[in-house]
Amino acid sequence: MDLGLRGKKAIVTGATKGIGRAIVEQLVAEGAEVGFCARSEDEVAEAVTALKAKGGHVIGGAVNVRDGEAYKAWLEATARALGGCDVFVPNVSAGGGMDSEKNWWKNFEIDVLHTVRGCEALMEDLKKSGQGAVVIISSTNAIETFAAPMAYNAMKAALITYAKQLSQFVGKHNVRVNALSPGPVYFEGGAWEMIKGTNQKFYDATLRAIPCGRFGTPEEVARVVAFLASPAASLITGANVVADNGFTKGVRY
Amino acid sequence: MDRDKRSKLIEGSRTPAYKKVRRVAPGESPVTPVEQTPDPELGHAVIPKERYTSADFMRLEWERLWTKVWLLGGCEQDLREPGDFICTDIGRESVLIVRQRDGALRAFYNVCQHRGNRLRPEGTGSTESFKCQYHHWDYDLDGSFRRIPDLDTFPQGAPPCDGIAQLPCEAWGGFVWFSLDRGIGPLADYLAPVNAHLEPYHFHKMALTRDVTVEWDCNWKASVDAFNESYHVQGIHPQLMWYLHDLDIQIDTYGRHNRYLIPFGTLSPRVRKPNTIPDPIKVIMKAAGMDPADYDGPIENIRRDVQRWKRAHGAAQGKDYSRLNDDQLTDDYHYLIFPNVTLNTHADDLMLFRQRPHPTDPDRMYYDIWTFELVPDGKEWPERPRHQHFVHGDKSIGLVLDQDSQNLPGVQKGMHSAGFRGLWLGAQELRIRHFHKVIDDYVYGPGGRPEGAP
Repeated sequence: MDLGLRGKKAIVTGATKGIGRAIVEQLVAEGAEVGFCARSEDEVAEAVTALKAKGGHVIGGAVNVRDGEAYKAWLEATARALGGCDVFVPNVSAGGGMDSEKNWWKNFEIDVLHTVRGCEALMEDLKKSGQGAVVIISSTNAIETFAAPMAYNAMKAALITYAKQLSQFVGKHNVRVNALSPGPVYFEGGAWEMIKGTNQKFYDATLRAIPCGRFGTPEEVARVVAFLASPAASLITGANVVADNGFTKGVRY
Repeated sequence: MDRDKRSKLIEGSRTPAYKKVRRVAPGESPVTPVEQTPDPELGHAVIPKERYTSADFMRLEWERLWTKVWLLGGCEQDLREPGDFICTDIGRESVLIVRQRDGALRAFYNVCQHRGNRLRPEGTGSTESFKCQYHHWDYDLDGSFRRIPDLDTFPQGAPPCDGIAQLPCEAWGGFVWFSLDRGIGPLADYLAPVNAHLEPYHFHKMALTRDVTVEWDCNWKASVDAFNESYHVQGIHPQLMWYLHDLDIQIDTYGRHNRYLIPFGTLSPRVRKPNTIPDPIKVIMKAAGMDPADYDGPIENIRRDVQRWKRAHGAAQGKDYSRLNDDQLTDDYHYLIFPNVTLNTHADDLMLFRQRPHPTDPDRMYYDIWTFELVPDGKEWPERPRHQHFVHGDKSIGLVLDQDSQNLPGVQKGMHSAGFRGLWLGAQELRIRHFHKVIDDYVYGPGGRPEGAP
């Protein structure tokens, strides 16, 4: 099946490592031209070099998405440099934590606001595309109780509501908006690698909750993103696609 | 091993490359020296395993080491008032340390001169006198006879010793020390230079928060060894790789004592940098009053930023860090006071271990854990915790120490194996080699360990 991503212009946030990096690599492999960002200049430069070495058409920028002005400027400049935007994947997250009330502000500003700001900044380009697609990265933590009542979980839930309602709002412009909720994803340098080292019991309990006994990989998540972002998924909008290897237990019928 | 296999082994076992952490320069440390001492030439020989298992060696240790050194007896905070006392056992001996009516400290053998009964069990307390429970021979706080019931029925009179025999006893650093060697020199000379190093921590302002004794099935030296290197972090404490730098360790030796300086609040080069602050590092930040959720810098800056934060906010928190250097605000300055006191010193707390030999069995020991927390100026001194004594495995002593203690009985069993020659130590374990060299000095004297001796 050809996904139809060849020549499409995609923008991905938080993409030098883990899921974000895998998304860029998958989109590049499908023939898309990709702009991406991360906070560290060195890591962006490394990723650009590595992706270009594989023949990818990529541009990278160092930006802190929490800084609304700088982030918007980067999005606009990247869309101009790519010559438009057909696909937007807001992927950056502040991650979990229950240190203080600041976690709520941080997850709100980074997980929620960066997604909203990105959709608003790029919506004109997405509308112009005719096959515009937004894939918002949520989490299974939004739909089932996980670990602790963290801001992360609640803010990821806000993104699913936002994705649905935005999809209704922009549907008439042929822009599709979906949420994707991965279950636990393990990769080198990722949160689960650290949890495995620092909290073995929790890691083991999480692994036991996955029927086939293995975590997801960034590549597996990236393939779902590529599909949802592609014209091949033309019928799917407003959905929350759960890609969790059976980690969640609820029946949603 | 064939060449191909050997080269594969070397290639697959390399230490990861790492960037050195920033450390304070000698001029930036007000009191505690930070200059690295030259590594002593201690060779690379195997440390004989027999010294961990041999009853003969245990006897030599008793005659030439335990009875020739200064020993940690207890905390001065347990001896505030006249009549307060500490009773502590070492090997087959037991010692009473008593606050005198004139404020002085005295130590005595804990033994009644009548029939040899122990006057008190181990522990702390307060008393008017030490009355033996057997026939009520009673001793004053200064050890002299106070009352001997029916003394007139002893034709030979009272023993000529005038009471229980006194032992050298001195206080330093909020701790009381004694020696079973009546001819030993001053405590300060014995501890030097470590006593001067530790002065700026203000141990006397730290309250005892935990007082635990665990019986371990290993020789006391196996336990000392376990805390004298950080090489085992990647082995049995994987969680600490998201907490401390286990490779950039400065090792210093000072006569009979030694130390290493471990950077805390930073990542081991053995792990990849995560996207979020590791929970163990958050603990350090929160203890300093920082909010990890409010920290926007990269993880590699946290150690430095915690130092700056504590420097800026310490005084307002009632904590006097003025005589500590910046690294002491985050790092573990880890000292071994020979032979058996391990001090994990930190600006706000102290975790002290005391390893004591079993009276008769080289395969067993007592592991004392005393933790202390700095009481900020103006804050109330917390109540003393109850002393707990249990056998290894009966209760948890915390994740990290559980990991250490679960390992040690296996180590001790291995010492008895015909398939094991002795300790094969690397450069990261230099403190262990130094410790055993000092043991040799005590046990074998200036000639050193004779060939083939344990």
